[in-house]
Amino acid sequence: MRARTERNCLREPLLWLAAAVWLSTGQLAWAQTPGSPGPAAEGSSSLGLKAGENIPPQRIQELYRRILKDWSAGETDRAPDELIELETAVVVEGDVGTRKTLLKAEQAVIHQAGAADIEVLVPIAVLHHEAYRRLLDRGWRGHATVMGHTRTMARDLAILYREQSGSEGAALVSSRLLTSLAGMQLQAAQQLPAAELFEEAVELDGRNTAALLGLAVIYEKNAQTESAVKYLRRVLETDAGNPEGKLRLALNLKRLKQLEESRKLLEELTAASDPSWVTPLAYQELARLDSDQEKVAEAEKVLRRALERFPDDARLTIQLAAVLDRKGAGREATLLIEKILSSPSSREASSARYLYNAVRPEAFAEARTFLAENSRSRLAVLAQALSAQVEVTVTEVGR
Amino acid sequence: MRRRAAILAGFLVLPLAGAASAQVAVHILSPSSEQPVFGPLDVKVGVQAREPIDRVEVFVNGKLVGASKIPPYRIRVDVGDDNIRREFRAVAYGRSGATGADTLVTNPVQIMDELDLKLRALFVTVTRDGERALDLDQGSFQIFDNGAPQEIVTFGRDELPLTAVLLLDTSESMREKDLEAVRLGAKAFLDGMKQTDEAMVALFSDRLLRLTPFTSDKQALASTLSGVKSAGGTAVNDFLYLSLKALEARQGQRVVVLFSDGSDVHSVLPASDVLWKARAGQALIYWIQLGGKHRSFTSAWRDYAANDREFEELQQGVQESGGRILPIENVGELESAFRNILQELRQQYALGYYPNNSKGDGKWHKIDVRVKGAGRVRTREGYADY
Repeated sequence: MRARTERNCLREPLLWLAAAVWLSTGQLAWAQTPGSPGPAAEGSSSLGLKAGENIPPQRIQELYRRILKDWSAGETDRAPDELIELETAVVVEGDVGTRKTLLKAEQAVIHQAGAADIEVLVPIAVLHHEAYRRLLDRGWRGHATVMGHTRTMARDLAILYREQSGSEGAALVSSRLLTSLAGMQLQAAQQLPAAELFEEAVELDGRNTAALLGLAVIYEKNAQTESAVKYLRRVLETDAGNPEGKLRLALNLKRLKQLEESRKLLEELTAASDPSWVTPLAYQELARLDSDQEKVAEAEKVLRRALERFPDDARLTIQLAAVLDRKGAGREATLLIEKILSSPSSREASSARYLYNAVRPEAFAEARTFLAENSRSRLAVLAQALSAQVEVTVTEVGR
Repeated sequence: MRRRAAILAGFLVLPLAGAASAQVAVHILSPSSEQPVFGPLDVKVGVQAREPIDRVEVFVNGKLVGASKIPPYRIRVDVGDDNIRREFRAVAYGRSGATGADTLVTNPVQIMDELDLKLRALFVTVTRDGERALDLDQGSFQIFDNGAPQEIVTFGRDELPLTAVLLLDTSESMREKDLEAVRLGAKAFLDGMKQTDEAMVALFSDRLLRLTPFTSDKQALASTLSGVKSAGGTAVNDFLYLSLKALEARQGQRVVVLFSDGSDVHSVLPASDVLWKARAGQALIYWIQLGGKHRSFTSAWRDYAANDREFEELQQGVQESGGRILPIENVGELESAFRNILQELRQQYALGYYPNNSKGDGKWHKIDVRVKGAGRVRTREGYADY
């Protein structure tokens, strides 16, 4: 009886969820590509479903409930694959109706479970988030609808959770989930939807540095320097020592010809005793700043200092060679180039310049750890809610 | 000034005496005693022995400067910039303790030799009615340096050995079939090399993925192209500069063959550094440009306008070097592009002159090569006078 009462209380927000999910189907248009019916999951086919199989709604609900149970029982490897299997079996690419069928069935189960305890929304959202991550990793082409569906489920559940809970903690959880999703979108080169998710994450938690940085990177990559600077300043207001934030701010200020502040930030980064992945870049850019201003001797000094700290850095070595070459010290420049040509280590080193322009999974690691911990701590609640749901169902059938 | 006669005498005498050192015959293959040497260079040593060799050591003016344990014995040394007589001595040690040695002396630059350092080499392609003209003699050419007529002192075609860097973009956008086309194209170039030619193969993305030393061993060069996995972004400027710099210490007709779409994202060096190097050096740059027309793009490193400028400067560097851009739409055209470049290099006229207006002030000298009669001439557009 308790469950039913709570479910009544939640009717309105769950209607909101339905509305939100329905509305967000419009957002899927960007990702949809015409394609043939998708195959079932490539992983373990523990549900035994086939792609495009005509599964009745009641059966979808049963399977979804079973997947949630597996997830709540700690089957963290199997449950996301089962969810992928179910969703790819039900949804036929290009057939909006199949996606609606899936959505309604999943909503019904969430509605019942959420009636028991709103906290169940967290592990369910994280399950969809994990399914989306796996789909992306597998590079499944022709499954845009399923991918869009499961991503939207994760997003909408996170927002609903924040709305219903109203707590500061809920805002943090939801913000991290949206940040992580946005990070995955960036990895898939979907900058616009990623920016939207980052913005929502920042609205929920204005001190979410990963989201602020993510937004800044998108603006930076799209040559919207002023906007990038705005968000990077917010990063440093929250985390004054953030090395990536400092470097990006320095480079964007340089583009805006605010060279003094740019130099100050770069000097702070190179002076830091604890180097990070951006430290060699800070040296490179400081030397570039000097070279651009025809301060060749200064550039040389910076690069020599850098090579004392990072003697195997091929990029710094090339840069110093070029500076020396211009200065007329061609022979020393040749020796530096010889060093690169004869050193296998300089060939294999990953390039920090590449990382600067790419999505680093580490940037969202904190958000994902936070999510995993929050999901884990609520699995028992989800298990309980699903058990209660069976009782409710039995009672209803008994009537 | 070689002491080869004395060494030879030793070979004749020592076996009779049964001495261990007679088992190891050593010969310094490079450098040659005929030319002055400066800066970094490879000392190549040939060793013949009836027993395994433990190591080969190289001494310059009595000082040990390097050693190698693996044949072919090639020891990189830096002999400095001083204009002095240098004695090179190579000593090979057999496992049994037997030794052998060779000595070679290089002389300082004489006053007349100093002129050689200022020799400008121009590689000139002449076309008539779309075909390369191959029947010209020295008298057919006129060289003007900043408008001043110059005396041609060396002339030839297909005589100088070729030293090439094949600089191949293997960044993450390259698919497996693209890489296979790159392999076949580069191999076609390598197969066409003569015994006296040398090449270095460099596969790059935002970092150097694979690299060979300069060698004429075609098999070793070709093997670098097998089983390549694409990875990373693109840093054309950095590795083109590195290639031009590596060619500086080499002799003969020097060329970089670059294969890339040219959309540099990750270089620390601006294209202006490459342009400067192309102007100051003597190497030709050929650019097999994948994808044809440049598409404007932005990245976290540069905005649209900056990337466009980079691309234009890179093109300028290629053209000013006397090389050219070969646009291709797809990798299927790679093999013929590589063959085309090699053929063009073989069919170029090599003209040498001592600029009579050189001041070594780094200023730009415009070069104008004219050919008598009809014909289109392509060569380096000029040089920075350092």
